[in-house]
Amino acid sequence: MSTAWHSPTTREEVLRLRAELGEDGTLVAGGTFLGVLMNNGILAPEAMISLAHVEGFERIARDGAELRIGAMVTHRRLEFDADIRALCPMIADTFAVVANPRVRNWATIGGVLADADYASDPPAAMIALDARVVLESASGRREVSVEDLIEDVYQTVIEEDEVLTEVIVPLDQSAARYRKFRTRSHEDRPCVSVAAVQASGGLRVAVGAVAGKPQIFHDICALAKGRAMDSGLAREIGTAYAERIDPITDARGSSAYRKRVIAVEVRRALEDLAA
Amino acid sequence: MKIAFELNGTPVEVETDPANMALSVLRGECGITSVRGTCGIGLCGTCTMIVDGKTTASCLMPVGALAGRRVETVDVLNEDDPVIDAFIEANAVQCGFCIPAMVLTVRKLLEDNPKPTDDEIDMALAGNICRCGCYAKIRDAVHLAAAKGNPA
Repeated sequence: MSTAWHSPTTREEVLRLRAELGEDGTLVAGGTFLGVLMNNGILAPEAMISLAHVEGFERIARDGAELRIGAMVTHRRLEFDADIRALCPMIADTFAVVANPRVRNWATIGGVLADADYASDPPAAMIALDARVVLESASGRREVSVEDLIEDVYQTVIEEDEVLTEVIVPLDQSAARYRKFRTRSHEDRPCVSVAAVQASGGLRVAVGAVAGKPQIFHDICALAKGRAMDSGLAREIGTAYAERIDPITDARGSSAYRKRVIAVEVRRALEDLAA
Repeated sequence: MKIAFELNGTPVEVETDPANMALSVLRGECGITSVRGTCGIGLCGTCTMIVDGKTTASCLMPVGALAGRRVETVDVLNEDDPVIDAFIEANAVQCGFCIPAMVLTVRKLLEDNPKPTDDEIDMALAGNICRCGCYAKIRDAVHLAAAKGNPA
């Protein structure tokens, strides 16, 4: 039986299809992650709902002290967009190092957050930036922080009838750095990634690719409260993160190796932040 | 489902499951064998096509997503395209398996950036793997093609 292909052009149509089809309707954003799942026989959708032609999903707009990024904005656009570069360069720096240009041309910010792959670059960066997502359904709309959105590998709090439509990033950071530590080729996913952000609410450090979801520890970040960042404090926080995290083992590094790298990379990210 | 798009300047319509990947439809129904399947995860680059002006992994794009779009493969180039000449002159080819995608990606790079630096070439081709290891000569070919200029 042939797969049903839906190509809605309005938000209302997307939400109606999502409500109607439930788990049988797979949303297609850039398709780069879905393609991998389908090629490997992990996913065989009965119906696909393409978000490629929905009006308004590709918008980037400044809204007061926040940046609103439509779910269908591609990695490539975030890499080069002049407003993004000016307002929050860490977003551009992070999306610029995902995979290769061919993938970045299509992969979207909504897609990568909804997929919740443990080894993707953007989730840790978005958590450190204290970003949140807008989840819409035919019956309502809610905002969820990216920190609460991702529960585990490929698992989010998005309900069957909901669509991730927008990402909202506060613009109150005074310094922000994303570091990607690779153990294989340049375009590979990270072995360990660190996103460190100094914002009005304090320091936020998220470590990606080392567990089912990005790791952030608010009590450890609070060690920086009232203290100037220097190499001693950077080392203290790096060591505390390494002690707290129980890293996974995969082809990019063993658990023990990752533990050592976390201490070093968190320290370096914080030193970069102070520089 | 019938899917209509433009392929190398000609309107085409294929009857297929929209969940089939563009790669298999291009190679099968459309007879375009310059796109090649290798990794199936968008990593190696041999399946590269250009969709609405953007390099794209055809192994990851369901063909349903091509409806109404403009698709190009290396077959769209003239045989005397400066990039093809440059690859031959620079001896940048050994087995040739990755070359159609390399040529297509380089053609696109030079349209966007007519005089790329070594770093810019490396970044643009970061996702195109050559298992013969011709990278240094491929980089020479890019500089040579840049010197020849884009076709009129």
